[in-house]
Amino acid sequence: MSIAAHLKRSAVLGLGISMLVTLVLGTWLFSTEESNFRVQQRQRFAVMHANALALAVANTSIEETGKRVSDIQKLDPRIESAIIVAGVQLVASTRTEDAAPRQLRREEKPLFDLSNEIRTARETNRGEQVVRKKTIKIEEQTPGHIVVTVPYLADGQFAGILQMKFNTAGPDVENPAAESPTAVKSREPDSYLLPSVFFLAALLVGSLLTLHKERKFDLSKLVALAVFLAIALSYQQQRLARFERTMTRADQAIAADYLAAAEQYDRLGYLAMPRDKSAVNLWDTDHYQRPLGLIAADGSILSEHQTAYFAQRSGFLKRLLAAIDLLGAAILLMFIYGYAARAFAALKEHADAYTYVAPAMIGMLVLVFFPFAYGITLSFTDTTLFNESLPFQDRLTGWANFKAILGDFNLYEHTAEGIIWNYQNFYWTLLVTIAWTISNVTIGVSVGFLLAMALNTEGLRGKAIYRVLLILPWAIPTYITALIWRGMFHPQFGVINQVLQMFGMHPVAWFDGVFSSFLTGVATNGWLSFPFMMVVILGALQSIPRDMYEAAEVEGASRWQRLRFITLPLLRPTLIPAIVLSVVWTFNMFNIIFLVSNGEPGGANEILITKAYKIAFENYQYAYAAAYSTVIFIILLVYGAFQTRITRATESF
Amino acid sequence: MKRLRIIFAAGMLFVAGVFGAAQAAELVVWHAYRGAEKTAFEKVAKLYETENASKGIKVTTLAIPYDAYADKISASVPRGKGPDVFIYAQDRLGGWIESGKTVEPIDFYIDDATRNQFLPNMLDAMTYKGTVYGLPLNYKSITLIYNKALVKTPPKTSTELVKLAKSLTNTASGRYGLAYWYTNFYFHAALMNAFGGRVFDKNGKLVLDSPETVASIKQMMKWYKQDGILPTEPSETLVSSMFNEGKAAMIFNGPWFIGEISPSVNYGLAVLPVIDEAGKKPMRPWLTIEGAYVSASSKQKELAYDFAKFLTSEEAGLILALEGRQLHTNAAIYKDKRVAGDPVLNAFHNQLSSAEAMPNLAEMTMMWSPATTAMNKIVKGNATPEAALKEASNAIQESINALRKGH
Repeated sequence: MSIAAHLKRSAVLGLGISMLVTLVLGTWLFSTEESNFRVQQRQRFAVMHANALALAVANTSIEETGKRVSDIQKLDPRIESAIIVAGVQLVASTRTEDAAPRQLRREEKPLFDLSNEIRTARETNRGEQVVRKKTIKIEEQTPGHIVVTVPYLADGQFAGILQMKFNTAGPDVENPAAESPTAVKSREPDSYLLPSVFFLAALLVGSLLTLHKERKFDLSKLVALAVFLAIALSYQQQRLARFERTMTRADQAIAADYLAAAEQYDRLGYLAMPRDKSAVNLWDTDHYQRPLGLIAADGSILSEHQTAYFAQRSGFLKRLLAAIDLLGAAILLMFIYGYAARAFAALKEHADAYTYVAPAMIGMLVLVFFPFAYGITLSFTDTTLFNESLPFQDRLTGWANFKAILGDFNLYEHTAEGIIWNYQNFYWTLLVTIAWTISNVTIGVSVGFLLAMALNTEGLRGKAIYRVLLILPWAIPTYITALIWRGMFHPQFGVINQVLQMFGMHPVAWFDGVFSSFLTGVATNGWLSFPFMMVVILGALQSIPRDMYEAAEVEGASRWQRLRFITLPLLRPTLIPAIVLSVVWTFNMFNIIFLVSNGEPGGANEILITKAYKIAFENYQYAYAAAYSTVIFIILLVYGAFQTRITRATESF
Repeated sequence: MKRLRIIFAAGMLFVAGVFGAAQAAELVVWHAYRGAEKTAFEKVAKLYETENASKGIKVTTLAIPYDAYADKISASVPRGKGPDVFIYAQDRLGGWIESGKTVEPIDFYIDDATRNQFLPNMLDAMTYKGTVYGLPLNYKSITLIYNKALVKTPPKTSTELVKLAKSLTNTASGRYGLAYWYTNFYFHAALMNAFGGRVFDKNGKLVLDSPETVASIKQMMKWYKQDGILPTEPSETLVSSMFNEGKAAMIFNGPWFIGEISPSVNYGLAVLPVIDEAGKKPMRPWLTIEGAYVSASSKQKELAYDFAKFLTSEEAGLILALEGRQLHTNAAIYKDKRVAGDPVLNAFHNQLSSAEAMPNLAEMTMMWSPATTAMNKIVKGNATPEAALKEASNAIQESINALRKGH
């Protein structure tokens, strides 16, 4: 097969697959968004009617309330039933089997709890002066069957709940004109037709393209990309326009429905708000009972609010579409530059090898990559303990967490008493972490090196005993060691201060000063980390051939020269990986900081990982902590890449 | 073919058998008890089974290691798994309720007789924003523990306390009249409450830097600096080792410490003193109250509630108190001779008349770390009580605002 033919195939495949991915994802996105929107419109309609009835019965007697509830229910066939619950009493009900008013039955506990929940939500929003709890609850177990619960007020006070059941499954709420199912169906095909046409077009263009692998700036590659983008964008624009039309129609439908209902309420004398353009429409609210402001009280559509709302809605879609286009373009480039073909060939050639690693890969996927991806996704939200049950889309905030972490330069402030450092700042913590890592690794390596040199002395008696003793700190669980050291640093009863006092010195309040508290951690970790370095270095020392030293001695090299030109260069290949590892361990050495100084004083000695822990489990800001961890990961990634280059350079000494 | 059918039939029988057996309801209960507490708890569960033998209820108790317990609840229950009933102290309650789908409200089930059977303050800890979410099981608070060899009659007022403690303090030999973990806000709360200070007001607003709290800290500083009756850098281990070595004559500590007292120390328990400086108001320590909660994912909530109710009954209470050494919440058991005659149970019961439930708001966890920092700064003289509390309040408020975001 000639190269040209091969490349034509890759153009067809590339355009075909990237187009398919883009169109499928795009269609999926629009159909989810449109069905979400339909659900929201249905619920908006239901909320409107529930609010209307709640306003109508707010300040009436019990008998009048019952009458109004049943009157309104009869007006609209879509309202299946309405009940009012106050405490353990069922105040009013339109269900024939209920003889309201009566006590709630045992199995009606959820109604009682719901009433309490909504009361608490109202009180919380008022008390904290922040609107964060929904005061309207909606349930839609099967599409079209909506249960809406709104607060029921009596004399301006919360008295209970009003619950309405709707059946909007039959006629289309958003478009009362097109009620027949056939009308809805007739709009459907183009959502499949259009992508298929585009897809075929892409295949056709691909078969006409001839790519050249060797030439980097081949015009036909550019054409392929341009064709891809043109098709993808035109399709997406067309769908966006259609979505906006749907939104406009829906608003008109709701406005019409509102007008009809308001007229009926007015006729019955139940309308509790003025119907002029300037009045606030209290019926059409969000789930926090804040007026949406899209439809005025006289039923006219407030276009400027509507435009802003549409812009916000399609803005979100556009960002997702851009991401999909990028993905498609990346796939296309992979094909036309031959990466895909090579990957596929490798997969085919080494099929056995890939089969063997597959179980491990699956394990990694579940245990490592999934939590990892989850953490990174979480870092783009504003998830906290209080809002974790909200849908993902409502929690999405983009880069806000990263901006808050990295963009906060409030590191210190000048006062009359000098500079006061802000220990809560990210850069302070980063600085402490770096200082912590460098000092610990330095201590670990140098103490380990000295001890290894000492143990490597020829003819040393009791070498085995020393070695065991020196490895002991490593063998004892860190938890115990850390707590022992913490005890030793106790200002009054700790052994270190006792010794200081024995020599006539003043006791030191170790955990009070930023530097002394830092030292406590370094001392503990130094104690824990030198055995590892010692073992590594001792092993490397013993593998250095003796004759090299002998030769050097014959040549008249001094002790220093032998160390400088034989020992150190030969230690390097072992030492550098050990240091790389130890830097990463120390950077994330949670136990020692948490257990010994616990970041005292005032969080000054916190390292990044303990800080992230505290943000997540003391402050419950899960997303912020996830962003913090992501930043830690990126720092270590950059360090790792940098270190690998150095290591590679040292390998060829 | 025929064989297959037989196997199929046998399989169906087996399945039917399994489901038939499952007809007898099984209640799964999680707790974190060990030792005597665990044995007593399991005995109560067995008792419930025998009393309800006619209904065929089986109670399965499962002890979960304490460190993993709360996270296990948070992870499993909202996803429809986990126990029917679980037992935990009130400090996590607010968080569980705010994140939802974890704890079932039980206001609807709870009747007046059950409400009235509890000691005062107990149901408060289980009530979050006006709704009851659990039945209180047992409580813990600090009280005055003294060394009988050094203290003949325990002090009733702060003036007596200081006078007595001063006579027992000898800094040179490391002897102190009084020792408690005063830099830990949990222990300090007793003094704060005496002065009428609060962490959160009844609307959930942070009021940590109120003048009352400042006054309480000044009182503590007076004991530490001016009277010199308290050791420096207190901690849990320091207080316990000092008491066991006879170096601390009086300490403020809770029931968890009783088991740690060395047999050589002859100890006595008394109610925390009245603070003369706070207008003769008694010290009011915080109560940590363990409750039995009905899981929101339970399929048999009413039965689960019934079991929780049984745990709080007099019958169960006597077993849990006498064998499990728990301070049970049922008021009736303290009339029992064996309980009333028990010096430890009786002493903590006496302390209860001046004590209050620790707030169960989720925001409480954000308080500890800044409050500890503030206490350390004050004790070391690095900041005035006003400035340190102001700073702590600002830090806590910032964390709270990050949590209570609007939509």
